[in-house]
Amino acid sequence: MTRIKRGYIARRRRTKIRLFTSSFRGAHSRLTRTITQQKIRALVSAHRDRDRQKRDFRRLWISRINAVIRGNKVYYSYSKLMYNLYKKQLLLNRKILAQIATLNRNCLYMISNEIIK
Amino acid sequence: MALLCGSTSVTIPSSSAKSSISYAKNGSCKSSFVGFQVALSKPCIRTSLPVNSRRNIQVRSQDLSVVPLDERWMFEENEVNGPDIWNKTWYPKAADHVNTDKPWYIVDATDKILGRLASTIAIHIRGKNLATFTPSVDMGAFVIVVNAEKVAVSGKKRTQKLYRRHSGRPGGMKVETFAQLQQRIPERIIEHAVRGMLPKGRLGRKLFNHLKVYKGPDHPHEAQKPIELPIRDKRIQKTR
Repeated sequence: MTRIKRGYIARRRRTKIRLFTSSFRGAHSRLTRTITQQKIRALVSAHRDRDRQKRDFRRLWISRINAVIRGNKVYYSYSKLMYNLYKKQLLLNRKILAQIATLNRNCLYMISNEIIK
Repeated sequence: MALLCGSTSVTIPSSSAKSSISYAKNGSCKSSFVGFQVALSKPCIRTSLPVNSRRNIQVRSQDLSVVPLDERWMFEENEVNGPDIWNKTWYPKAADHVNTDKPWYIVDATDKILGRLASTIAIHIRGKNLATFTPSVDMGAFVIVVNAEKVAVSGKKRTQKLYRRHSGRPGGMKVETFAQLQQRIPERIIEHAVRGMLPKGRLGRKLFNHLKVYKGPDHPHEAQKPIELPIRDKRIQKTR
């Protein structure tokens, strides 16, 4: 049997992975074995965090709305606002309410006064 | 609803659309994708964004009416109508949290219940009472506490509440009661309480530096013109 070297097969596969990892820090973008591991970890994190992103943003919106609503009246809170919102069947979601709270606070006060009645 | 809340971009159609190299006020660019030159208009928009309302937002918008129909797909939503401020959650820029523009609050700790006081302080330092609250960014205010040695606790905590610390070596646990610590270093009591209520981590440690506790009624921060800390808790004042 003649000796057969594998040539450039492995290198071609690894360059693609190396390109993905090209902006990582230190050995994570230089050493081959570490590069494959870091690429896998990066993709796993991205996948997990795409679902987590939905949760995180909803938490942020709720915090922001709560902050503005509590600052306005004495015994008023996010929970009471949501209850009133659902009672009046207003379809505004938390994202838009939070954006209204940051960009145009008076508008949010107007909405909350309307739905309290 | 959109009009009520302030519409974002207003495009001023440019008159010299078909001229070869147009000379708009702020300089225009020759759009390399399109076969003809379009003058970019930059109307000045004033939207009521949270902190820095004196900054005007300059929106560069394309005017699609001069673009032929079969080339309109080339222009993105951002170029046509300006950035979408309603669907992208607001995130603070560097200019929104400069330390020099943050408010300073002052609170007198005389006869206030320790935990309730620490809770309101922590809320203000973290910025959780603001609409611009962001967990990754320091948006909170500075808080000055004076008369720290007069803070009150209910029940028998004055003699029974223990403050522990460990030096790291075996047998190195040091225990002190509330009264003893108040004699020794009264500021540490409020600092300990507030530190336990701030987030633990790099940002939490940075937030802790925004708390200034002093023993007597004086403080060196008159130049910051601190205002009275608004306290909403009714049971914070110890009734004798």
